[in-house]
Amino acid sequence: MRGIPPKAPLALIIALTVALGACGGGEEGGTDEAVESDTGTTPTGDDDAPSPATEDADGATTAPEEADTGAAGPRPETLVVDKSFDLATADPGRQFEVTGTIVGVALYDTLLTFEDADVSTPVPHLAESFEANDDATEFTFTLRDDVVFADGSALEADDVAFSLNRVRNLKGNGSFLMDGVTAEAVDERTVVLRAEQPTPQLPRILPNPTLGILNADLVRENGGTDAEDAAEADTAEEFLNTQSAGTGPYVLEQFDTTTETILAANPDYWGEPPVYDRVVLRNVEAATQALNVQSAQSSIVLDLAADQLGQLRGDPSLDVVEEASPNIWFLFANANPEISDVTSNPDFREAVRYGLDYDAILELAGDGAVRVPGIIPNVFLGALGEQEAPQRDVDRATAAVERLGGDVTVELEYPSDFTANGLNFGPVAERVQATLAEVGITVELTPAPIATALETYRAGEEQMGLWLWAPDYPDPADYLVFGAGGIVGLRAGWPAGSDPELEAVMEEVATTVDDAEREPLFEEFQRQMNERGVMFPLFQPTASVVARTDVGPVQFHPAWTIDLEAVGR
Amino acid sequence: MLSRFVARRFAAAVALAFGVVLVAFLLTNLVPGDPAAANLGQRAIEDPDAVAAFRRQYGLDQPLPVQFGRYLTNLLTGDLGRSQQTNRPVRTDLAEFGPASAELALTATAISLVLGIGLGTLAAVRRDGPIDQALRVVSLGGVSVPLFWLALIALYLLSFRLSLFPGAGRLGPGAPRPPSVTGMYTVDAALAGDWATFRSALGHVLLPAMVLAAYTIGLLTRFTRSSVLEVLGNDYVRAAHAKGLPVRLVVRRHVMRAALVPIITVVGTAFASLLAGTVLVEQIFSWPGIGSYAYRSATTLDLPAIMGVSLFVALVYIFVNFVVDVLYGVIDPRIRAS
Repeated sequence: MRGIPPKAPLALIIALTVALGACGGGEEGGTDEAVESDTGTTPTGDDDAPSPATEDADGATTAPEEADTGAAGPRPETLVVDKSFDLATADPGRQFEVTGTIVGVALYDTLLTFEDADVSTPVPHLAESFEANDDATEFTFTLRDDVVFADGSALEADDVAFSLNRVRNLKGNGSFLMDGVTAEAVDERTVVLRAEQPTPQLPRILPNPTLGILNADLVRENGGTDAEDAAEADTAEEFLNTQSAGTGPYVLEQFDTTTETILAANPDYWGEPPVYDRVVLRNVEAATQALNVQSAQSSIVLDLAADQLGQLRGDPSLDVVEEASPNIWFLFANANPEISDVTSNPDFREAVRYGLDYDAILELAGDGAVRVPGIIPNVFLGALGEQEAPQRDVDRATAAVERLGGDVTVELEYPSDFTANGLNFGPVAERVQATLAEVGITVELTPAPIATALETYRAGEEQMGLWLWAPDYPDPADYLVFGAGGIVGLRAGWPAGSDPELEAVMEEVATTVDDAEREPLFEEFQRQMNERGVMFPLFQPTASVVARTDVGPVQFHPAWTIDLEAVGR
Repeated sequence: MLSRFVARRFAAAVALAFGVVLVAFLLTNLVPGDPAAANLGQRAIEDPDAVAAFRRQYGLDQPLPVQFGRYLTNLLTGDLGRSQQTNRPVRTDLAEFGPASAELALTATAISLVLGIGLGTLAAVRRDGPIDQALRVVSLGGVSVPLFWLALIALYLLSFRLSLFPGAGRLGPGAPRPPSVTGMYTVDAALAGDWATFRSALGHVLLPAMVLAAYTIGLLTRFTRSSVLEVLGNDYVRAAHAKGLPVRLVVRRHVMRAALVPIITVVGTAFASLLAGTVLVEQIFSWPGIGSYAYRSATTLDLPAIMGVSLFVALVYIFVNFVVDVLYGVIDPRIRAS
């Protein structure tokens, strides 16, 4: 049979390829959206990498302004930040996710804040000063007189009282921050916060972006309320998803929970203006983020795993910032004998505590990760020194297993589909399994999707669990939940009354006001936890921020990951 | 005759849609897990007031039969409920994410059609030759290569290394979207006469569409090859050759028409599966479509969204099957007559 000449299909393929090329990168692709900068004066470290354009097909152009940081190459006008979104809302009172926090800090100021990445000491922000009474039940704030909202109206005490009371009454994820606390406007510039119980941690809670201050009149006009029935009656979220109502360095230009959220510099900002006039926060998966930042299609990426960072460290066009995240990865052994006769036995806890190979587990968490000696992360008040961390003692662990009758078997549950700081729970659980096997404990892994694993974890039904705790606010009081009767303690079958000595310390520290006195009490709390507790703190993983060098200085922020306003400063 | 055909199809579609909604509802509720636990934070889940407010807001405080009955009642008015992850009406979400996936799937289908049928025909007429052997490898690769791996490699090579394509997303970062008419940026930009945006949108959709099309190209190439080979062996094709007609004419006029009927079946199924199977490609290319939405819904036990996506995909399948049935008649008069 004669064949037809292959010209027709081939011609089609060639035409398609040409068309693809014409529409693709080349002159405008790869870099068409790159509002990037590097014009050749900065070595890229990669001769094959595409040269970033100075003009983009979508209209964004680089600014002629030179970075004042010593980084060669002009600074981009628009900051493109890649983040794997967990964004739900732009309403500060309703948001409590990582991405929402980044947006919230940029749009809404708070009464107090943290300077740079120092989360140990809250400093005045919208408040010019504040004082607390002796038992930390009443806090009086005097507001600055030079602050205006984006619509030009002046900040008043009523705005503060409305915003904080609204958060409490919304009954949302962040409402617990204002549990038992009521805000009252005394006069135009004075706000008093009254707590039902001593709340010495309140100054460290107030910088939380959930407690961002809203323009009360504007929000009320658009369905907002701070009344007790706000959970049902407040309808301002839709409005706040289209327009911000804060005093922050940025205003909301476009809000989208799935693609990109765009922030524009607030022209009437009362503080030092941000370096970047526009920020595009894009929803991009971690695997793609690494390519984006290398090819200058993004300025900053926030979700890279430790093994991805290794490939980028040698690239002179990138700044790789690695810190220990304040997240704590921990194990627990259920103390409830109805769940397990084995895990509830103190000898089992001793076997686990001294049988775990903490250093081998830490290897999985990346170069910036650190061993955590107690349950409180190393950046917070009361953290224990490295020398106090339990050390592996195989003989002691094996002896404890023998007292249990030898060859014990337990189940370890963990979320199989959840990744934090680029780290999956699976390999960590496997390493735990391997190291405990060396002391005679057989660990059966029972992974489950997070939606179902959370169910058994919160019901206190796991024999052993591998989880993480992300701080709600940077104060050690946040970690009392791990003690007997705390919410995590209860999940580990450890109710109040289980350890009177420890609980006495918890009670004392909860009502102690002075940090100088709180610090040794929190240390004592952790020492006793390490001695008799059901929790086994493992590590703080690596948290990273990777930025193009022409962006300027960038910091990882332990409370809100990145402060967009401070980028480049 | 046609009206009876359409009526029968419509009745089947309604029954099928009801079945899909029922199965999706039952399966989602069978999964051990609590939507409140999946959506509320670690502190809020311990606050009975917060949990009660969440359940009330999404109607989860009602017994399951009441929830299902209420869902069906609302469905009749076009209300698909409110998504727990986006806190928007599911209908709004589908109107946004559906066209994004449709744009991707349509582009992938177009690429698959051109390359799959073209290469399959070429392989058939060059049977057992080097071209046929080479295409066999290509098509086998297309159907066997893991999609997520191909997506990453394509992004790395064609976008990052060679700059042939722009990066992830539907447009450049911060670029204004075209006025929404269809929700498909290429179409909307063309309708608005905004050619810069059109080029950008087309550039962004091509690479993920090519990756998505890889499997279908392989499938269509193999299917077209065997279908064309079957027709090539018929007497009337041999007669056409014997009459001295040019090969191209014989293939176009006598072979392709007969070979197209089974191919169309594959194309129809492939389109619908492309639409439903874009999860990985959408994740890697940051493409805000139905696949990403479905994934997020599943991980957060977002029942209204899961049911909305299931219904949407089922309706697409029904519609595509209907179109395929009609096309059979258009292509083959014998089917029309029967």
